[in-house]
Amino acid sequence: MNLGVDVAGIRLKNPLIAASGTFGYGVEYEGLLDLSLLGGLVSKGLYLEPRDGCPTPRIVETPSGLLNAIGLQGVGVRTFVKDVLPRLAGYDTAVLVNVCGDTVEEYAEVTRVLDGVPGVAGLEINISCPNVKKGGMAFGGDPKMTYEVVAAVREATRLPVIPKLSPNVADITVFARAAEEAGADALSCINTLLGLAIDVETRKPRLAFGTGGLSGPAIRPIAVRMTWQAARAVRIPVIGIGGISSAADALEFLIAGARAVQVGTANFVDPGVYTRILDGLEAYLTRHALDDIGAVVATLDFPGASK
Amino acid sequence: MIPRMPSNRDVPLLRRQPLEGAYVLLTFRHPEVAREARAGQFVMIKAGTSADPPLRRPFSILSLDPGEESFTLFIKAVGTGSIALAAMAPGEVAQCLGPLGRPFAAPPRGTEAVMVAGGYGIAPFHMLSAELSREGRARQVFYGGRTVADLQVRAPFEALGVPLTPATEDGTLGHRGRVTEPLEAYLDRAPAPVRLYACGPDAMLHAVARLAERRGLDTQVSLDPWMGCGIGTCLGCVVWIQEAEEARPKYRCACTEGPVFDAATVVWHGEPASLARRRQETRA
Repeated sequence: MNLGVDVAGIRLKNPLIAASGTFGYGVEYEGLLDLSLLGGLVSKGLYLEPRDGCPTPRIVETPSGLLNAIGLQGVGVRTFVKDVLPRLAGYDTAVLVNVCGDTVEEYAEVTRVLDGVPGVAGLEINISCPNVKKGGMAFGGDPKMTYEVVAAVREATRLPVIPKLSPNVADITVFARAAEEAGADALSCINTLLGLAIDVETRKPRLAFGTGGLSGPAIRPIAVRMTWQAARAVRIPVIGIGGISSAADALEFLIAGARAVQVGTANFVDPGVYTRILDGLEAYLTRHALDDIGAVVATLDFPGASK
Repeated sequence: MIPRMPSNRDVPLLRRQPLEGAYVLLTFRHPEVAREARAGQFVMIKAGTSADPPLRRPFSILSLDPGEESFTLFIKAVGTGSIALAAMAPGEVAQCLGPLGRPFAAPPRGTEAVMVAGGYGIAPFHMLSAELSREGRARQVFYGGRTVADLQVRAPFEALGVPLTPATEDGTLGHRGRVTEPLEAYLDRAPAPVRLYACGPDAMLHAVARLAERRGLDTQVSLDPWMGCGIGTCLGCVVWIQEAEEARPKYRCACTEGPVFDAATVVWHGEPASLARRRQETRA
């Protein structure tokens, strides 16, 4: 039975990737789970310099969801390369780095720091964080800026470039195509949905930043729909993300057209989630007399649509 | 001390002991927690596997029973997560990760441990009292709340022979007023050097930190910010901490670098720098 997949020239031993911002730098989970179980992991978003992130409170629960405004607190890309990457070298998993920037030039500079560094399998380009005042969603919400950021990163590296798209747009296919035209090798789909939770007693937002990004099971149907739309709009592979915590959840994305998936909020809930999903995927393939997970990808039988 | 790696387990509820109001004691079987947890550490726990609410909740460990391989939590059912836990029946299973966080450090030899709890903040002090009692160390507890119903965990301290001074704002038990009042009265006449341990609402912690600063007392506080994961990755529970040698404070995770901190390194709300830093600057 083969669970392995190829995404943007990156060989993943299985289609499960730990999502950026929900898995620290990977090393936090050492001892809690075997990192070599994972197809891959994506680091917390990194700028050139360390960042404090947003004031607190930063997270609040909503029905079946998590609203966060962490604001990309991080150690900076150079510290990551020097102190963290060597600790991940011993694991048999693909390490992707989430690249952030306040400006197009900063994205390119962070990329240049990572280019050619041993142990980096690919770059996920964060043009979709809703919790920063500059960069992030501002780039992912404008197709021209999406193109510009991706093209600048493309020029700065030979590593696989994987923009992470924002769901906070009317038509995600426009952004998927812009990223593909700019030279992206794959797409991550989707980041969090912009949300607002209000404390009715104080009439203030429950998050210090004001708005936040919604994740978790609450957003899964939206994420599956957008993954399906994006996968049909481009030739490059799509990585599905949004509220995955079981094999059935992961399969929805694969059937919708994702080549691989990312597990996000579920990392906070249960470090045993990967073992559960992998067991469930194998059981599914056995039940359907399939021997390759790739046979499931883009097999949605959608009413009235040609596949 | 470097904390041991926590264990992720499905834990059966062994016993459920309702207290007054929304309070309940829950005893779960978890061999690693029962064997390895230290006072001040906590678990992340959630009833069942429902997606709503999605996250586990942090609770200080009240007590351990290594023989039974169990630990007990003191829970106030106030939100969706704690209400679901409090409604569990014996035999039902919770998802539990622990033990987590840095424990309290024992006081130096010849120093008395004086614990200050605000309401719900009593939880970690039963275990600390048990640890100190086993070692024959001097220790006592000041326990404050709005009213007597907030002071639910008293008998276990009596059983350990730990002196406990209650204080309630409405005078329904012990001293009428804030817990810091009998505390200060004691500190004025304390026969031996004292180290303070505090757990409770932020305002009480800040008040204890201020009086400790005035009196030059070493103080450990257990902080309780909103926590998402318990293992340092969601970055939801960060607090401003500033060591003496740090020019500016840093956000540190209460789950992995705390929840117990030296009060002198905490940048309290409305203050520009930690006490440790201010002392360093005065020296320089």
